[in-house]
Amino acid sequence: MAQSVVSEPIDMGTEVRPSVPGQAPKKPTKAFNSFQIAQTQFDKVAEYLGLDPATRDLLRYPLREFHFAIPVRMDDGSVKVFRGFRVQHNDARGPGKGGIRFHPQETIDTVRALSMWMTWKCAVVDIPLGGAKGGVICDPHNLSLREQEQICRGWVRQVARNVGPLTDVPAPDVMTNSQHMLWILDEFEQIHGGRYPGFITGKPVGMGGSLGRTEATGYGVVFTLREALKELGIRPEDTTASVQGFGNVAQYAIELYQRLGGRVIAVSCWDQADQCSYTYRKLAGIDLNQILSITDHFGGINKQKAKDLGYELLPGEAWLEQDVEILIPAAMENQITGDNVDKISPRVRIIAEGANGPTTPEADTQIKERGILLIPDFLANAGGVTCSYFEQVQSNMNYFWEKDEVLGKLDLKMTSAYFAVSELSRREKLSMRDAAYAIAIGRVAKACHDRGWV
Amino acid sequence: MTRDETQVGVILRELQERAKELNCLYKVDELLNRPDLSLEEIFLAMIGVLPPGWQYPHDCQARIVFEDQVIQPPDFAPAPFVQSANIVVQGEVAGSVEVSYRVQMPKSDEGPFLKEERKLIETIADRIANHVMQRRLKTAFEGLSAAADGLASDKGEWRVVLEFLRDTDPVLLRRISRKLINHLSWGGVQEAKELLQRDGVATLADAAIPGDENRPLRRDVPARFVDLTTEAFRIASQHLSESEILSCVTTWIKEEKCSFLVRCLENLATSLGEVIEAIERYQHSAVEESELSLSTQKGLRVSLIRRFFSENLEFINIAKNFIEVKDFYDLLGRIIFPPDCHGKLGGKSAGLFLAKKIIEKAPEANGQLRQVKVPRTWYITSDWILNFVHHNELEDVLNWKYMEIDQVRQEYPHLVALFKSSSFPSELAKGLSLALDELGERPLIVRSSSLLEDRAGSAFSGKYKSLFLGNQGTKEERLAALMDAVAEVYASIFGPDPTEYRAERGLLDVHEEMGLMIQEVVGQKVGKYFLPACSGVAFSNNEFRWSARISRGDGLVRLVPGLGTRAVDRVNDDYPVLIAPGQPNLRVNVTVEEVLKYSPKRVDVINLEANAFETVDSLELLRYCGANYPQIRHFVSIIEHDRIEQLVGPVPDFGTRDVVFSFEGLIQKTPFVARIRELLTLLQAKLGTPVDIEFAYDGEDFYLLQCRPQSYSGDAVPVAVPQNLPADKVIFSANRFVSNGKVPEITHIVYVDLEGYSQLSDQAAMRDVGRAVGRLNKLLPKRQFILIGPGRWGSRGDIKLGVPVTYSEINNAAMLIEVARQRGNYLPDLSFGTHFFQDLVEASIRYLPLYPDDPQTAFKEEFLHHSRSVLEELLPEFAHLSDTLRVIDVPKETGGLILRVLMNAELDQAVAYLSPPRQREGQPESDVGVIDRTGEEHWRWRFRMAQRIAAQLDPHLFGVKAFYLIGSTKNATAGPESDIDLLLHLQGTEDQKRELLLWLEGWSRCLSEINFLRTGYRTEGLLDVHLITDVDIAQRSSYAVKIDAITDPARKLPMKEA
Repeated sequence: MAQSVVSEPIDMGTEVRPSVPGQAPKKPTKAFNSFQIAQTQFDKVAEYLGLDPATRDLLRYPLREFHFAIPVRMDDGSVKVFRGFRVQHNDARGPGKGGIRFHPQETIDTVRALSMWMTWKCAVVDIPLGGAKGGVICDPHNLSLREQEQICRGWVRQVARNVGPLTDVPAPDVMTNSQHMLWILDEFEQIHGGRYPGFITGKPVGMGGSLGRTEATGYGVVFTLREALKELGIRPEDTTASVQGFGNVAQYAIELYQRLGGRVIAVSCWDQADQCSYTYRKLAGIDLNQILSITDHFGGINKQKAKDLGYELLPGEAWLEQDVEILIPAAMENQITGDNVDKISPRVRIIAEGANGPTTPEADTQIKERGILLIPDFLANAGGVTCSYFEQVQSNMNYFWEKDEVLGKLDLKMTSAYFAVSELSRREKLSMRDAAYAIAIGRVAKACHDRGWV
Repeated sequence: MTRDETQVGVILRELQERAKELNCLYKVDELLNRPDLSLEEIFLAMIGVLPPGWQYPHDCQARIVFEDQVIQPPDFAPAPFVQSANIVVQGEVAGSVEVSYRVQMPKSDEGPFLKEERKLIETIADRIANHVMQRRLKTAFEGLSAAADGLASDKGEWRVVLEFLRDTDPVLLRRISRKLINHLSWGGVQEAKELLQRDGVATLADAAIPGDENRPLRRDVPARFVDLTTEAFRIASQHLSESEILSCVTTWIKEEKCSFLVRCLENLATSLGEVIEAIERYQHSAVEESELSLSTQKGLRVSLIRRFFSENLEFINIAKNFIEVKDFYDLLGRIIFPPDCHGKLGGKSAGLFLAKKIIEKAPEANGQLRQVKVPRTWYITSDWILNFVHHNELEDVLNWKYMEIDQVRQEYPHLVALFKSSSFPSELAKGLSLALDELGERPLIVRSSSLLEDRAGSAFSGKYKSLFLGNQGTKEERLAALMDAVAEVYASIFGPDPTEYRAERGLLDVHEEMGLMIQEVVGQKVGKYFLPACSGVAFSNNEFRWSARISRGDGLVRLVPGLGTRAVDRVNDDYPVLIAPGQPNLRVNVTVEEVLKYSPKRVDVINLEANAFETVDSLELLRYCGANYPQIRHFVSIIEHDRIEQLVGPVPDFGTRDVVFSFEGLIQKTPFVARIRELLTLLQAKLGTPVDIEFAYDGEDFYLLQCRPQSYSGDAVPVAVPQNLPADKVIFSANRFVSNGKVPEITHIVYVDLEGYSQLSDQAAMRDVGRAVGRLNKLLPKRQFILIGPGRWGSRGDIKLGVPVTYSEINNAAMLIEVARQRGNYLPDLSFGTHFFQDLVEASIRYLPLYPDDPQTAFKEEFLHHSRSVLEELLPEFAHLSDTLRVIDVPKETGGLILRVLMNAELDQAVAYLSPPRQREGQPESDVGVIDRTGEEHWRWRFRMAQRIAAQLDPHLFGVKAFYLIGSTKNATAGPESDIDLLLHLQGTEDQKRELLLWLEGWSRCLSEINFLRTGYRTEGLLDVHLITDVDIAQRSSYAVKIDAITDPARKLPMKEA
């Protein structure tokens, strides 16, 4: 078995923005349905893994779904009824984990698809959590904060018996944030009469949140990158890298990578004033602190000041064309495409996907053909979900670690996850992306089997 | 500008004398206003306050002789140098005021005395006389009312009055008798009518006797008059009750007492100075306005309003209900007016004054509203500017407005310099100095308040200058700076922009004068900065609703930290915080990213150290001010990872935390927004029109800075929506969430098919649609195409909901339309442009939601669906989207028609219909001179210039194969800032190319200069030259696609013939 089994990452749409098949569509037959796409992707891996029909049947659908009404007294005195969901796809490996989304046109199929993806995401880094997702059909742009609070509290009142630190753990997601989570947590604790900080992740530090969360995703990318370099027998200090994006993930990835001895020579970012992106290059290596001092909250670098500091100003796409060993796309989806993949320098050895879905399937194939090692998004950027798991652990024991401890444990988790995927990829001659899916789904299937469910 | 220092010095020395004199006068007034003191006590105190008003107070002594009393200091010594003035009460000398020097002093105008001191002593004597008169009358009245009380049931009560008046004021008694007769005869009393007739006839008869001219008629009158009076009261006593007679007589006596004011106001020749004196006299007469008859009250109010503020009938009609005579009292001391003044205070002052009085007086205004303040203001009357012009012999400028606009523009900088170096009439300089004395070292703003500003419909906001002054330093420096600012604001009335604006609106011939307001800036000192905690503008009607839950009447506030300049103007790189006061909790921006992106990034402040207006970075300001920023807790929020938190606990170090001006606490925890809403509601109700206010908040008090009808604010005027359009011409109509405005010349419609989009099989195809729209945005003529699509434009999450575009992919569109189609029994929510709402607002891109399933509205799907789409020709690489994305070239499809969208929020109606384009025929003659002011001249002129360049270009010399025109000049949409886009097909050598570019560069710079003179817009060269080669044409790359393009093709111009 050496063929590619999962040529495309699973597309769950929305906030995770994974990569997307980009071929020109034929005559459209029906509107796409992200849940069906997720099932199709699963089917392919299940086929490769040779899962039995019962296991497939179990994993193709969520274990449980809750649909409920949330009546809310609006600011003007009227009552409006909102629709809420919680979908628990699988909890064989541990309590469900997944966000709560506020979206005006939320559909149950989107929530199902996203909950399935959470199951695989937790499994690939081997943390003992399952997959879940929830949401409410609403648009916060049309709601006051008080009304949003009532929706949050209403949501948890409906499912208080079916969620909890040992069963299903929500987190912030599209158009919800830690404020919403604290309302939900508070209502849950009112109902159950106790303090259960482990019920929610994504809480602020000091309210049961974990240190190290800001760094987690960016560091996670570099932990996997470091292991990849080791495998290829390249010393980090002999490498250079080019990074797309200069947000949170990119900034911490650059910081750690440079600490390992590597040299980032180019970074690109969006310029708000010109409404286009630019690449900033300094062949001697960028000075991270210097650039941070001229960067706004959105990761936008001040063009003029950068020039004054001696950075070359190149077109936005130029980051991809640099003569470097490592490319880190850490901005947004669909950045490496069939159109530009051939501009990648022959010197490039590794692409670490810091963003969700930066590579289109077409480019993915060519990258594989050129023998470039690609660390897939859902492994490379799994530092975030791993840190959420640590938050839950700390909350459950009501004992909070220092940042070093969090990041040390993160290193361990990411490294072993990388090894598992890499080992399978080598052994089965799968792409890293395919191997990651195979490992994740395999682990969940085994848990279901071990429990005697199937 | 440097000013002649000695001039200022002389003025100041003189002013110090005047200040002493005024101070003395104030003190005299203060004493006279103390009813608790007896006359003797007043005089005794007065001899103490007089000497300091004279030039040499140390050796000065004062004495008052009144009736049989002599009031003088114990050490009074007879002196040879005396200045004295008589106290004349009711025409009789009752005493005198004397000031004298014990020793000889240097000689001056009148012995050792100044001529101003003569005036002063006379004024003081006059005031004493008035006061004595008042006291006497008051005593008489008290006697009268005591009599009335004591004789309540006594029949002869009115006789007491009669007797009293006969003794004290026979003239008044006569007028009262007249009024009584009139009153009785109007009441239908026959006897009174007869009396009236007899009196009249007798007079007539007297006058008619020929040859009797020499008979002394007058002698007879007193006797007749006594008869008349007796008769009148006799008749009255038979027909009216005692109390009726008494109340009539009392009212009339009071009215008589203020008749001087009526007479003064009725006489158009009286100067403002005299009016002001009359009001001051009235103020001291102790007559309550409510004691006057209603007609007199109204008459007085209207005359005063007309005299001070405006002749505008609508304004007067409303103002007379709120502005009373006594409201002028505190205004008077702060008006700087020239001698023989007939000017007014101007539109801005009028609007603000009226608004303030409405707030004070409307019964529905609650305590919170009553606390709204108006900053301390001095007023310079509108005729000062003419006075200033005459004083400096600058009369030429008055006819500037009739010059060519480019000439005005060229000369204007010199005019400003000239004005700034002109000298000030000394009265004006004195007035400004007095104002500075009262206002102290507070930063000031000099605002224009012109007569044109109160004319309905003309939005003069921002056309004339308003200047901020730090007002720091010595008195000399501050006065010089203030004079400088006044001169500059004065010059702005002759500036090119207002002149052009007036010309466009046919207001050139209107007589314009400019009053000024010198207003203290609202705010607090924080370190070296002076700033209000926040300021902004608020509108009764919300024309930019971001949620269906917000109604138009919920209003709109644009709020910024610091001075309000950034809220008033739209600055394209910064954003105010928007609030709908009726729905304060529905925010435009919800996520952290939105809040951060659309929060104020810069703050306007006054730097006291630099003594100047400055714009500073908001974060740097916060770091500098820290917890000293007024009400900081209510103003900023901390970005805590993924959410925005209000400040709770100690104020953090802003140097280490991400912080943003959100006004969250102000909105949620204070009555700030509620107060603005009440204010808007009240002013709208009382003024009978939606209003637009400017305000500032210093952390403690809320100040109103301006108030005017919202319709003056230009931008969003409701347009008439034609009703009986032929159905085949209407493309769509709407009746919900409509804002005001029009989008007149749409040539292209980009239509995303509702069904087609929802049927797309995957997200990549949807993203392709977004990308294709982004490409079209660059390709189609700017602001001449509209986007129509399903659901939510700019959707970032679930892109099934709407086409995923960013603002930069739609920023050239004229209008964004979202269509909500019923699905089953479910009507999807629209975004209202949420994703880039504030960008749309600041760029004035219109937004409209459509609900095609509403039978009341039209939505011509077949036109959108079946018209030929030019997408494939424009963007062949997106041909696969042709079922979903359609581009309709409207003129091509309809035989030359264009699409017009008219929107009227008052009616909540909008319609888009096909109509012939504006006429574009005719060639104006001149190239630089006459500019037709229709907005057409910009493209016409550019077009002619392009033709001329082509005609002079030698194709062989430069190796040019063809010369094309593209872009806005070709499309007849060029504005004053537009480039002329040329497309040149080259086939020459590199040398020829260089030569050509050099040649064109010369043109470009020349045209740019001419364009500046015509329009005032500075550009770096006016030509935008695009070069293409045969290769480009073969490959259809670059701009070559424009040649023979399907839509918006390049236009070929003939070149010089060999």
